[in-house]
Amino acid sequence: MVSVMANEKLLEIKNLKQHFKVGKSVVKAVDGLTFDIYKGETFGLVGESGCGKSTTGRTIIRLYDATDGEVIFDGENVHGKKNAKELKKFNRKMQMIFQDPYASLNPRMTVADIIAEGIDIHGLAKNKEERMARVHELLETVGLNKEHANRYPHEFSGGQRQRIGIARALAVDPEFIIADEPISALDVSIQAQVVNLMKKLQREKGLTYLFIAHDLSMVKYISDRIGVMYQGEIVELADSDELYADPLHPYTQSLLSAIPLPDPEYERSRTRKLYDSEDYAPKSGEKRVLREVKKGHWVACTEEEYEQFMATV
Amino acid sequence: MSMRQEQLPDLTDDMFQPADIDSSKNEEIAGESTGFWKDAWRRLRKNLGAIIGIVIIVVLSLLAIFGPMMNEYSYHEQDLMRAKLPAKVPGLENVGFLGLNGVDIRGVDQYEAKGVDEYFWFGTDEFGRDQWTRVWQGTRISLFIALAAAFIDFVIGVAYGGISAFYGGRVDNILQRIIEVLVGIPNLILIILFILIFEPGILSIILALAVTGWIGMARIVRGQVLKLKNQEFVLASRTLGASDGRVIGRHLIPNVLGQIIITTMFTIPNAIFFEAFLSFIGLGIRPPEASLGSIINNGFSSLQIYPHLVLYPSIVISLLMIAFNLVGDGLRDAFDPKLRK
Repeated sequence: MVSVMANEKLLEIKNLKQHFKVGKSVVKAVDGLTFDIYKGETFGLVGESGCGKSTTGRTIIRLYDATDGEVIFDGENVHGKKNAKELKKFNRKMQMIFQDPYASLNPRMTVADIIAEGIDIHGLAKNKEERMARVHELLETVGLNKEHANRYPHEFSGGQRQRIGIARALAVDPEFIIADEPISALDVSIQAQVVNLMKKLQREKGLTYLFIAHDLSMVKYISDRIGVMYQGEIVELADSDELYADPLHPYTQSLLSAIPLPDPEYERSRTRKLYDSEDYAPKSGEKRVLREVKKGHWVACTEEEYEQFMATV
Repeated sequence: MSMRQEQLPDLTDDMFQPADIDSSKNEEIAGESTGFWKDAWRRLRKNLGAIIGIVIIVVLSLLAIFGPMMNEYSYHEQDLMRAKLPAKVPGLENVGFLGLNGVDIRGVDQYEAKGVDEYFWFGTDEFGRDQWTRVWQGTRISLFIALAAAFIDFVIGVAYGGISAFYGGRVDNILQRIIEVLVGIPNLILIILFILIFEPGILSIILALAVTGWIGMARIVRGQVLKLKNQEFVLASRTLGASDGRVIGRHLIPNVLGQIIITTMFTIPNAIFFEAFLSFIGLGIRPPEASLGSIINNGFSSLQIYPHLVLYPSIVISLLMIAFNLVGDGLRDAFDPKLRK
């Protein structure tokens, strides 16, 4: 996968901001994100609850209008004024898999209608037979049976529903899929099933993923690169092996120290590192910015810290 | 342990058979596919109360349509010679305790005393009009007013609540303030003013009921749409590029429809009752037209002497109210079994 990463950028996110007005105050859910996603890779986005991961995903796909910043997909700015035709083209290229398999399927629609929604909207099937043939093909792609097409979502298990959600996203042949915590609502035994399906689809269709999650071990398993988010900003970004081997930002270290392992020996000696953003705030009042300390390893740091990092590397 | 092992018979390979495992059948669902409506109908069918309610509504509706045609009298044909006759039904007149033998509460057979040979199944009123025809004529008008008012409530309420919730923000804010102002004015005053301005009649009663009646529906639809519009399946539809029309038509309406039907089922008896109330206080239908409320109002003044004038229309209106409520309750349980405790 590393060889793929040197390839072209599929998605460039520049200084993306998403602020929400809550009464009179403003919540800065996402505050100045900048990162790139390369073609064919899986970019993992991790962070604690409420740090802005899901908002990032939803803003990229235009479910929210960005307060500021640019999202450039395949050389075209996604945000800003667009006519209906351009929007539809964009909708086909970028899709989303949702977190809650129980809320993400309309309970009043059959599985066939759910999966075919994209086909209907974009007019991808000439007639009913072609539409059903495509639905059957998609069902089989995600490991379900043709016979499931006429059933309703409530007749399926969580893992099956999530696969229906994946089939719905695949129906419009997207290049890029945002997976917003696709496995966090599933049983552990089913998580692997869904993640492996996503990996298989990536190999077969050359998909690019933005994988949002808080389960660190799962993120490490699926991602090529990982960005760590904290309070609406990226604090560290590196290849996944590099990030796990050599976390530089104290927040990343704190996150990694929280992963339990099924190993009593290790667990006995594991110490939880705590992270307090106020303690860590730079004394000089300088704002930390992302700087590249090793090739492909970016850390939010001050000028002074940057020199320290460079000295140790 | 060792004891138990000794007691086991010898197990040999030929005692076992490999099970058939077809991996393609892993994901098979054995049960019959059930959609929302099918499921709801199955639950409704089991609900005895709701079925009784449906039967009563059907029977009363048929009587409202065909009842006035079942004898030769019209609802406005007056004949003082046969005024205030008690009920008399052929066949049932011989069953004493039913009181359908034309004998009034003083024990006088009015039919004999007035020399009337015909039968009046519900008796006659103070002008000698046939009460049977009038009661069903009244039921017809009461039902018509209620259905029309419920329909107007439905149209305005769904549109208003839907727009308010779907567009949200400032639109929602303004529309909800308007509702609050309307709720602040006492209902009865609004309706009385309405009827005073327009000519009393079916149309003005319907409009008067509709002026504020839609508010409940609007609030329920707004709440439901607010809940639904940020659900992930709606977001998924949006990311696929669905238009507003598609989101409303395919995702929001089908999911609110159950609630809308339930609310409508409870609006109808309310409208029947309110119409009867208006007619009873003299603001409703003008004679010779009759509604259940105005018939009861007419008979009420001579309740102690001629109870039959109040009795039959009261039974009909009570049955109607109970039946609609039973069906409404049944539908609520059928559409949302989680609500039932």
